[in-house]
Amino acid sequence: MNMMLKISWRNIWRNPKRSLVMVAAITAGLWGGISAASLVFGLLEQRFQTSIEQHISHLQIHHPDYLRDHVVEHRVEDWKALQEYIDNDRAIKTYSMRTTLNGMFSSAHLTGGVHIIGVEPEHEASTTRINDNLTDGSYFSDALRNPVLVGKQLAEKSKLQVGSRLVLTFQDTEGDLVSAAFRVAGIFQTANKQFDESHIYALRSELGHYIDSEVVVNEVALLAMDIEQINPVRERYAEAFPGLTVRSWDEIAPDLYYMQGMANLMMMIILAIILFALAFGLVNTMLMAVFERIRELGVLMAIGMNKKRVFSMIMLETSILSLLGAAGGLLASLFTLSILGSRGLDLAAVGGDSLNEFGFPSFVYPTIEPSFILMLMLMVVATALITAVYPALKAIRLHPAEAVKEE
Amino acid sequence: MKTVIKTNGLSKTYTNTAVPVHALKNVTLEFKEGEFTAIVGPSGSGKTTFLNVIGGLDKPTEGHVVIDNVDIATMKESQLFDFRLRHIGFVFQAYNLIPVLTAMENVSFIMLLQKQSKREMEKRAKEMLEQVGLSDKLDIRPSQLSGGQQQRVAVARALASKPNFVLADEPTANLDTESAFNLLDIMARLNREENITLIFSTHDQRVIDRARRVITLVDGAVDKDEHFERN
Ligand SMILES: Nc1ncnc2c1ncn2[C@@H]1O[C@H](COP(=O)(O)OP(=O)(O)OP(=O)(O)O)[C@@H](O)[C@H]1O
Ligand SMILES: [Mg+2]
Repeated sequence: MNMMLKISWRNIWRNPKRSLVMVAAITAGLWGGISAASLVFGLLEQRFQTSIEQHISHLQIHHPDYLRDHVVEHRVEDWKALQEYIDNDRAIKTYSMRTTLNGMFSSAHLTGGVHIIGVEPEHEASTTRINDNLTDGSYFSDALRNPVLVGKQLAEKSKLQVGSRLVLTFQDTEGDLVSAAFRVAGIFQTANKQFDESHIYALRSELGHYIDSEVVVNEVALLAMDIEQINPVRERYAEAFPGLTVRSWDEIAPDLYYMQGMANLMMMIILAIILFALAFGLVNTMLMAVFERIRELGVLMAIGMNKKRVFSMIMLETSILSLLGAAGGLLASLFTLSILGSRGLDLAAVGGDSLNEFGFPSFVYPTIEPSFILMLMLMVVATALITAVYPALKAIRLHPAEAVKEE
Repeated sequence: MKTVIKTNGLSKTYTNTAVPVHALKNVTLEFKEGEFTAIVGPSGSGKTTFLNVIGGLDKPTEGHVVIDNVDIATMKESQLFDFRLRHIGFVFQAYNLIPVLTAMENVSFIMLLQKQSKREMEKRAKEMLEQVGLSDKLDIRPSQLSGGQQQRVAVARALASKPNFVLADEPTANLDTESAFNLLDIMARLNREENITLIFSTHDQRVIDRARRVITLVDGAVDKDEHFERN
């Protein structure tokens, strides 16, 4: 082994307790930081997935005015041509063509505003898999006339059950109000409580009877084969259908897009604070290590070990100490992640239910980008090196003739 | 005989004290190759200051210290590190060694600083430890050596670097009589057989009697400079 490495290594273990405490502190700091970050990233990732898969999809196509004025007249007139184009498009996995209406619902207990989504069941099921999210009832059973699916929160508030009757009121294409009776066929629950409190799924064909003589499509949601390749697909649709507005997921929900970057930044700030605290511990540890060895450092400098070498020796000791801590933190984190990453963590037990209110799942699978960990490791090493400068400067400012006299 | 150190009008005044302390006053001395010199004098007479100044650990206020035709009194601090490493051997009163290194590694370390080859280092370290009678303690750390043995390792280290001369400030002060004599015996033998130039300070009359030249300092000035024929 290299002699300088050997000296530094042995110097670290001259005071094993102090060094171990320091290593343990770095390990714990990193472990806590990485675990917390992976939880937050897990939550975000899942929110991203569920938002995209259950609600937003990859691409949405509307009448240009629909976004400004959410009324049924702003519809996709020639939706059949669009459908044919999509059916022949290999880049698209699946799609749903919907009638969306803002309306009122009234049950025996409650009246309120609601978003009504008219769907073609098979297409909607393949696009948002809403059929998988039923907690009760069935997915548009044929037995009922005018079946609807009601979100769990809405059903609870208005005391609706499977089989209950409710009346929906909305405008038709002429601008006249229409009311019709529907029956609850099923109750759904997604990870987003807000959504579940304000949405009702109905059959597109039946809504069509009430608002026009034929099926109205004013929203088309598409899932592409590969979300990473969404931009060229969006451009292609925008060119092929210049009269329509085509938006990709990040344009529809920019918050989702920014949240990712924001979370990265926030976690970096939190970890920087942890590192800052560790830096104080390291400075303290290394200063003690220098002050304990003034005499010895004096002898070394007297016999001709120059300042550069003394400086490097202290830096090397600090680096080894912090690298040990970093390695410990990394191992502990990877171990934790390997368990929780596959098994998941149920936050409901610690009040994670409330996360649902904001569209976050309460059952989390922690995830973390390797690049984030790499970045963090670099931060640890950089912190250690910056931190080591002060004790190392103290060491080289010693005057050898005086240091050797030190008691 | 070759001159190894020549001082000229050496003065050192400490001004960081309430009253300026004149630790050295106009000291002009010459040391020849192979000399075995004791610097003696009462406490505070300037022995340590003198050794520090000729060892390049301290700067004189006035005067010159010429070693190998170079005046180290005018040398930059950064150059002095390398000068000490290559030209001067040091033995201090105590705690000379790196506690985490074995005797062998302690002696090798100075040669590592001199960037010698690993093979050369190991060969010479063994040789030097043998010279001071510690061949059986190569892999022992300082904490397991007696005070006398530690000082002998320090002597071995000082010699391993092949210096022009060795400076030792009260090398026996922390040793019992037997160890002190033993160390002196070794130093005297090395001086005699290897022609090593040795300069040491001491209070100990028994030790002074071994030196072939005795310089007495009083109040920072040379009071006596005597030569003896011994061994
Ligand atoms: N760093 C310093 N600052 C101020 N005064 C000093 C310093 N070092 C030494 N002195 C003073 O210089 C004088 C000579 O000191 P020095 O240590 O050289 O004496 P010494 O002969 O080695 O004494 P001792 O036998 O006690 O070791 C003393 O009066 C001492 O107090
Ligand atoms: Mg002294």
